[in-house]
Amino acid sequence: MKLPSTNLVHVLIGKSILETVLVGSLAVIAFLTILPPYFHGWGEVTDYGVAGWAVDNGSRWERVEVQLFIDGNFFDTAVANRSRPDVSSAGWAVDEWHGYAFVINSLSAGPHEARVYALRNSGNATRKSLQLMGTPIQFVVGSDGKLQKHSAAK
Amino acid sequence: MKESTIASDSQSSPETLAAGVARALPLWEIASVMTSCLIAEWAVLVFVGHSKWVMAIPITLAFGLMLFSHRECGETLRDLGLRTDNFVFSCRLLFLPTALAVFLIVSFGWFTSQSSFSAPWRWRFAALPLWALLQQYVLNGFINRRAQIALGAGPKSIALVAIAFSILHLPSPLLALLTLVAGATWAFVYQRAPNLYALALSHTIASLTLALTVSPRWLNGLRVGFKYFG
Repeated sequence: MKLPSTNLVHVLIGKSILETVLVGSLAVIAFLTILPPYFHGWGEVTDYGVAGWAVDNGSRWERVEVQLFIDGNFFDTAVANRSRPDVSSAGWAVDEWHGYAFVINSLSAGPHEARVYALRNSGNATRKSLQLMGTPIQFVVGSDGKLQKHSAAK
Repeated sequence: MKESTIASDSQSSPETLAAGVARALPLWEIASVMTSCLIAEWAVLVFVGHSKWVMAIPITLAFGLMLFSHRECGETLRDLGLRTDNFVFSCRLLFLPTALAVFLIVSFGWFTSQSSFSAPWRWRFAALPLWALLQQYVLNGFINRRAQIALGAGPKSIALVAIAFSILHLPSPLLALLTLVAGATWAFVYQRAPNLYALALSHTIASLTLALTVSPRWLNGLRVGFKYFG
């Protein structure tokens, strides 16, 4: 058997570059199709739950499906279709029907963390991804069941 | 009929690499082919799903590299094991391990499926001989030969082939274990009698037995890579 020439090294380097480009391209395409950066929204603590708004800037008339996770566990799902005139007047949405509200009445007293995610379907709904709306919400459940913003939260 | 080691009859020419580099290069070739397979199994499925066109890119690159490498090394089809003169000898070497594997697989299937075989026949099994030949070509016709150049014939190169074959069958634990043992056996036989047809026959028999007798819940339809979770 012959010893290979330097051409083989060139082919190996070329193949490595092509595969790096392939995987990089796939990652970018996947990011843009599965996790497009089109969602905007916010959430905050109310006396009895978490409320906020969510808009899909890629499809501004669509109502966004949102999911609430508390302390890392799924809690509830809802569609952001409640009236939030402040959102449309601030220019975030084309109409006011982008609000959501979750009622929370089954948590133990003490500190908790809520995260609201926009649910995104892609690949004919075979792929689902979640994008965090705003920032994690720190709150405390009082002995009377009322929620209030955690004082230590940033 | 033991074949002479692949590395021992090397010859150099003015444009060839230094001998030391040339011995390390095969390991890079193995890693490169493995990377292509892992990209097809994991990255393509994760990012774009079952797109055959995208899947074809790393596979084509891997086969392109292997064919180019064979040409560079002056290897013929006969060298690779696509030959018939040692078919019977290779089959003789493979008979006992294959028979033992079939017995163990059938026993495992029998005990784990409450004494009944429920796996149905699928027409895609008809393509198993071709698929097995292709896998054996990559595993032994390429990886084993390159492992022998880098590490010499024997336990080290056999272990490398077995580990490579097992890694390509992750994350299925049962398949990874089975392919580790089977990969080592086939690599051992190939080093004594390089015949890909005989290895493909053994591979087909073992795979078919596995698919027909072991419950899909143990093997998850022989799926590997990201597909295993789907």
